[in-house]
Parts: sequence; structure tokens; C-alpha cells
Amino acid sequence: MVTILSDHTRQEVGERLDSKLRERKIATQFISLTDLNVGPCYSCGGCTDKTYGQCIHRDDADIILPKLMRTDVLIMVTPVKWGSYSFKTKRIFDKCAIIGDRHYYCKNGELVKGRIGQVHTFVAIGVKDQWRNDEKNVFKNLVEENIKIMNIKGSVYMVDDSNIGTCLESAVEGLSL
Amino acid sequence: MKKAVILNLSPRKAGTSMMLANRCKEFLSARDYLVEILHLYPNLKDLSPLLTAINEAESIIMVGPSYIDTYPADTFYLLEELEKNRDVLHGQDLYGIIQGGMPYVHTHESGLKMLELFAGENELSYKGGFVIGMGAMLNGQPLDKLLNGKKAASGFEQFLKNVAKQESSPPSLYYHAQLKMPGLVYWFMATLMNRKIDKDRREKGIGDQAKSPYDNLGIN
Repeated sequence: MVTILSDHTRQEVGERLDSKLRERKIATQFISLTDLNVGPCYSCGGCTDKTYGQCIHRDDADIILPKLMRTDVLIMVTPVKWGSYSFKTKRIFDKCAIIGDRHYYCKNGELVKGRIGQVHTFVAIGVKDQWRNDEKNVFKNLVEENIKIMNIKGSVYMVDDSNIGTCLESAVEGLSL
Repeated sequence: MKKAVILNLSPRKAGTSMMLANRCKEFLSARDYLVEILHLYPNLKDLSPLLTAINEAESIIMVGPSYIDTYPADTFYLLEELEKNRDVLHGQDLYGIIQGGMPYVHTHESGLKMLELFAGENELSYKGGFVIGMGAMLNGQPLDKLLNGKKAASGFEQFLKNVAKQESSPPSLYYHAQLKMPGLVYWFMATLMNRKIDKDRREKGIGDQAKSPYDNLGIN
């Protein structure tokens, strides 16, 4: 199962990607963050203590996280600002640690963590009207660190008005399904 | 007397970020600074106390944890709100401190890069930052309790000297201070930490094969 977690972009990148995957008969679920409300992680320790594996705060993460538990490929479509995920995207990403493997592993001589649920591939599609090279580098490094720490496969695409078609085509072609 | 504001970007008021914020306050207060520490999370509904303090300060120091390789989501909210209230930004110096569980600088450094880009677009003068690994293990204890305690504490002191002098602080300071160990030692650390995680689960009556509560789609 491919899950697209999509924050709103003017170019409707998430929706277009969803159509492309469905055209190819790839099992896809599309989650729009537009009307969902996920609260902050308060680092209260509840998910490692009283309600082990579950956030004690009730919000729309209760809708998203169960879907992510059944996901093999997670695609995040996010507007990018200052080289980072959007606020809404990051709120849910922060909470993904709850369903992540808590164990540590070693890869290439460094400590890493385990995957989120059964996700084996993480794809981040950053969207801007226009990219500057320094911001591209910051976003690319961030996503590469995310892929590294989750110890899974992944890739990053940086979309703007000039390359939207080719980027989405490459993202679909690059999926290991 | 110069004014500095330290913003605690952690939801916790007593963890490693606050330990670093307190050390920063102590250091600057002894050097003719009027220093205030403000917490982000209790002010999320009304950021005006933070905006006022930022407007009045000459130096802004943002201290926070690394959640999945950068600052928590609500830091982005703060930056977006600062951009909307750009009149409070008028060339102040901006420094960042980020601390996270993994021992490597590269894991957490994206947070500082974000602050640098933010400053560049919003009339702030980004002067550098400091990255501290294994912050979760510290859980609020002083830096010298780290395996690389001496180097980390000394690098952080040098960073604070740069903040006090309103000078740029180079990444080489925190790169030099980071823990460097052979891969085998990390494998050993992973084994020990995993044993602790499994023991903790057993003590809570959670079996090794137990499913996540979120595995049940009917969760409300």
C-alpha cells in the first residue's frame, strides 16, 4: 500500500500524484492534511509509559497513524519553507515516532532507528514556487537524514512549476513495488 | 546593558534544552546581559510575550530538541508567526542550539540550517549555533555527564563566549566536540539500549510481539 500524506500546494501535487498512481492500478490511499488537526508532541512520555505505544492526547493522528500502520511506501507532499517540511506535515511526522520501532540498529558504523510501522520506502516531495540552491541543499539533507535514521529506502524530489510533470513521473517510476 | 532572549523550543520545562538554556542565561548574565528565558509551548495560543521580548532584544537564542532530525513542528509555527510580525525583527543576532538523542552532528544540523535560511529572509543576522548529541540520555543533567563531556562542555563554553561577544560561532566548534567512537562501540551501545527497551516492555506487561494500539483501525 502506498500512502500519500499531502499538505496543500497550489499546484495540487499530492492530488496529481494520486491520479498517476491510480492510473497504474497501484493501491494508494490519499490523506489530505488540509482539514485534519494534529496537535503537538508534548514529549510527556505517555507513549512510553502509561499508554505504551499510544499518544495520550486525542487528535486526528488517531485517523492518520492507523493508516500508516498498513503502509509500505510513505510519500509526503509538502510545501517547503526555509528548507523544511510545512508546519502541518511536521506535526504528523513528529508523532510518527509513536508507531516507530523503538530499537536501535547499526548501519555503516552508526546508530540508526527502525522503521515506522511497516514502511520500507519514504519519499519526500518538496514543493515551492521557485527553488534557490541553498534551500534545495538544506531540504535534501534533511530528507536524507530522515531516510538514514529510519533505516529504510527513500528519495527526495524538489518540485516547482518548471518540473512538476517530470518529477512526478520519476517519483512513480522510482517506487519499489 | 545588552538584552538577550532565550527561547525554549522544547515542550519540556526541565529537560536537556532547559539545562542548556539555563547555562546560557547564567553565562550571559555574568557578562552584563539582561537575559530572559521564555517558553514556546505555554504561549502557543498567544505569542505576544515572545514577540515583545524579541523586539526588545539584541540577541535571540533558540534552544530546542531534535525531533526526527530538526526542531519540533511548533518551531516552524513560531517562525511563520515571526515572519507575519516582521516589525519585531530588525537586525538582531540569531543563534541556535539543538540537541538530540543520536550522537552525530549531521543528524540534527538541519535545524540550524533552517534558522540560517529563516534569518536570511527576515532581517536577522544569523551568527551560528551549537549541536549536541545524546541529549536525550542526559535528560537535563550537565554536559560533563556525557561520554564526550569534557569536549562538549568546552565547545559549548566557547560558543557562549561568541554569543556574549555577538560574534559568529563556526560549525567547527560543535564538529570538534562530537563523540567519535568505532562502529563496534555503537553496536554494543545499541545492544544495551535494546535490552533496556525490551526489559521495560516486559515490566509493563507488553510482549515482544504485541501490536501497536494503532494497528486497530477502529481506534477513536
